Amino acid sequence: MNNRKAQIQIFETIAVLVVFFMLLGIGFIFYTKVISSNIESDTAEISQSKSISIAQRVMFLPEIQCSEDSVPKENCIDTLKLDSAISVINKPENSLYYYDLFEFSDISIKEIYPSSGAAIQLYSKFTTDYKNKFQTNIPVALYDPKTKINKFGLISITTQTK
Amino acid sequence: MKKAQTEILGLAIVVVLVIIGTILVVKFGFTKSTNVRNDFTSSQEASNILNTFLKTSAPDCSQLTMTELLQDCAQGTGLVCSNGEDSCSFVKSAATAILSGTIGAEKKKYEFLACSNFNMKEIKCYDTPPLVEIGQSCPGQKKLKIFPIPINPGTIYVKLEICN
Repeated sequence: MNNRKAQIQIFETIAVLVVFFMLLGIGFIFYTKVISSNIESDTAEISQSKSISIAQRVMFLPEIQCSEDSVPKENCIDTLKLDSAISVINKPENSLYYYDLFEFSDISIKEIYPSSGAAIQLYSKFTTDYKNKFQTNIPVALYDPKTKINKFGLISITTQTK
Repeated sequence: MKKAQTEILGLAIVVVLVIIGTILVVKFGFTKSTNVRNDFTSSQEASNILNTFLKTSAPDCSQLTMTELLQDCAQGTGLVCSNGEDSCSFVKSAATAILSGTIGAEKKKYEFLACSNFNMKEIKCYDTPPLVEIGQSCPGQKKLKIFPIPINPGTIYVKLEICN
């Protein structure tokens, strides 16, 4: 009789331990999931911040930005500077410098008004090994200093982040 | 039902409630908003589009800017562009082309409004009909930019509203 009671008590202890370790396991899985989801959202946030900073670098790039009496104008691209900038940016000896600025991205400028033409590519470097890809469109004035005419354009920046 | 069975049932209910609570906390409490880029672009979009639009030159209207054309439209000086349109219709067709190529291309709804009498509280025109009106006001969340343009006498207001 005593033997049977002891067996039941052992089973009870084992059952309690099994439940305890099950709960511990569930808690650990839950904790890992929360941590990994936090890491993922932090990574996504860092990628998005990187894409914003690249977009801002393009908007304030002295190589293409309009200026009057050495004062830069916001949201304005000098179309005369743009022609020269394309050849400077795409020179092989400058590729490392511009990679530091724009990393893996594609920057193109398109006229929307008065005529909708083909996009002009300013910089393009892509990778197949990327995690996130973002596209940012920024409206800008395309200013021709020779004719003093402002056209409506759009800078399209596609960034790839690892 | 025995007392022990009732207690076990109560315990099971408590466990189920704890699990549901935990799931809800994980679902809504721990998920952070990661739309940093969207917040940045949408806050800049209306302002950038409107600023650039008002600076844009009109090729068929002696290269006058959209600001100058809107001033002419409000003052009614009777300017006729080389394509036969008056300043008001020219601004409207230019705004339609630009907005459909930018905001419209992203499949977002918008409202463009230029008025000589503008109610800042209700963000709409009053007394007189709008000088230029494209699209409809957003019913829900929106990003908007209002730009005042001086005329003689008074001020006209240009509004661009982009629905979220």
